[in-house]
Amino acid sequence: MEFETGRSPAIQLTPRQRWAIAITYGLIVLGLALGVNLRDGSLNLASDYRNLEAGISAKYPARWLLEESGPFIFRVRDMAYRGFNTLIEVSAAPVGSDTTERNLLDQLTLQRSQVLIDYSVLGYEDYRLADGSAAISMSYSFVSRDSNPFLEGVSSIVYGLDILTIRRGQALIVAFRADAAIYLRELDTLRWFVQNLEF
Amino acid sequence: MLSETRLQPDPLREDTYSFLPVWRRLGLQLVILSAALLLIVLLGVFLQPRLDAQLGRLLSLTTAAMPVVLWLYASVLPEYRVARPRRRLIGVAAVSALTASAIGLPLVQEFFRVQEWLPLQSVFARILGYTLTAGAVDAGLKFAVLRYLIYPQSLRVRGDAIAYAFAGAVGYSGFMNIALIWQLEPTWDTAAIYLLANLTIQLASSLFIALGIVESYFSDAYPLVLPINVLAAALSTGLITALVGGFMSGPLSTAGNTDRPLFAFALLLAAIILTLAAVYFLYSNSERREREAYSSQWN
Repeated sequence: MEFETGRSPAIQLTPRQRWAIAITYGLIVLGLALGVNLRDGSLNLASDYRNLEAGISAKYPARWLLEESGPFIFRVRDMAYRGFNTLIEVSAAPVGSDTTERNLLDQLTLQRSQVLIDYSVLGYEDYRLADGSAAISMSYSFVSRDSNPFLEGVSSIVYGLDILTIRRGQALIVAFRADAAIYLRELDTLRWFVQNLEF
Repeated sequence: MLSETRLQPDPLREDTYSFLPVWRRLGLQLVILSAALLLIVLLGVFLQPRLDAQLGRLLSLTTAAMPVVLWLYASVLPEYRVARPRRRLIGVAAVSALTASAIGLPLVQEFFRVQEWLPLQSVFARILGYTLTAGAVDAGLKFAVLRYLIYPQSLRVRGDAIAYAFAGAVGYSGFMNIALIWQLEPTWDTAAIYLLANLTIQLASSLFIALGIVESYFSDAYPLVLPINVLAAALSTGLITALVGGFMSGPLSTAGNTDRPLFAFALLLAAIILTLAAVYFLYSNSERREREAYSSQWN
């Protein structure tokens, strides 16, 4: 049975009720601030990588998967993302005295255009590393499709950025790839990674 | 003395049928909905029908519309047959759905990015994480909608707060359900579990908010009562969201990992029953205290 209190719709809130509303809003804001703090703590948690043989040390997001077997020194991937897993791959190649960065990038382009669908270079830019040394970057895009043709799924467009520098007779290539939808957001992770990369 | 008392208007008897009772209708809708969704889940578990992707999505979307249609039929339409209807039910549901679309979902998925870091945490961390992110967002938005649309101008009886909170839960979960089916494209039986999960999460949270509003407005309770109820609303979201995933996924073994939809369904039913029982107990207790206060005043 409903029970009417006889309150008028025009009734004013009492000071207690006003305080209750103000405290509620304050509590929600506090909860959200703690949530942001928790998110930052989890998303920005870093792990250390050290490879004495290659002379490389780096930090990478702790929740990303580290792999060391393959045609690279190491790579880390964000396996939690549902689409194309964002990856940062570090590899090295010996170079001759007359080889330029541009030669190496062109070589990469030739190799990738054979294996990646609709691979196309978007541009080249100078890049400054954390220690002030110069590097060159190449941005590109391609289409990623599931390797199993029987799985029904929509292809995704992937943007990539290679940062290449030559030092002590070897070229160091940092390759970064992310789904086009989150590329700009993930670029911050790459910048943070490059800033903490030592070789 | 007795005859004088009888001549006075009795607030306990007056207008008994001028407001639509809310609890029985709420309970009935949940029973019908749970039974229908259980049927879909059982169909998926035992018969495992192979549906075309388009047909599966159509069936899932139709199922997602079920709580809204049922609510319109059982809660909104009868309001127009009573003397003093709750006129803002559709408004509250629509604005709740819009806030879920414009603020709630983008904030949880794009800003907090809970899907990237919370599923990998321990149970306790998941409960805390979902409470402080999705729970705080959902409870905050639904409270704000109720505060600006009905509190205090549309509150005449305690049942008003429950009816409007239910409308908010139906609107909010209605949008979340459609977005979920559109994004994840689950099978029909999995969609049924997701729909029940969303409705349970939003209903539990809304009922705690309503209880806080009831206590604060009708009993003029201490200022901390309302925020504590909103906190309980956020915690219920965190608790159910964190646990339902674990109940849904079976243990990992060499044979692989299979879903356990009936476990998840049982957990959600238990969550609905527990929440309804707890909120109804506190609501009735508060109403009884006020009824006693009025009775002593009139006698």
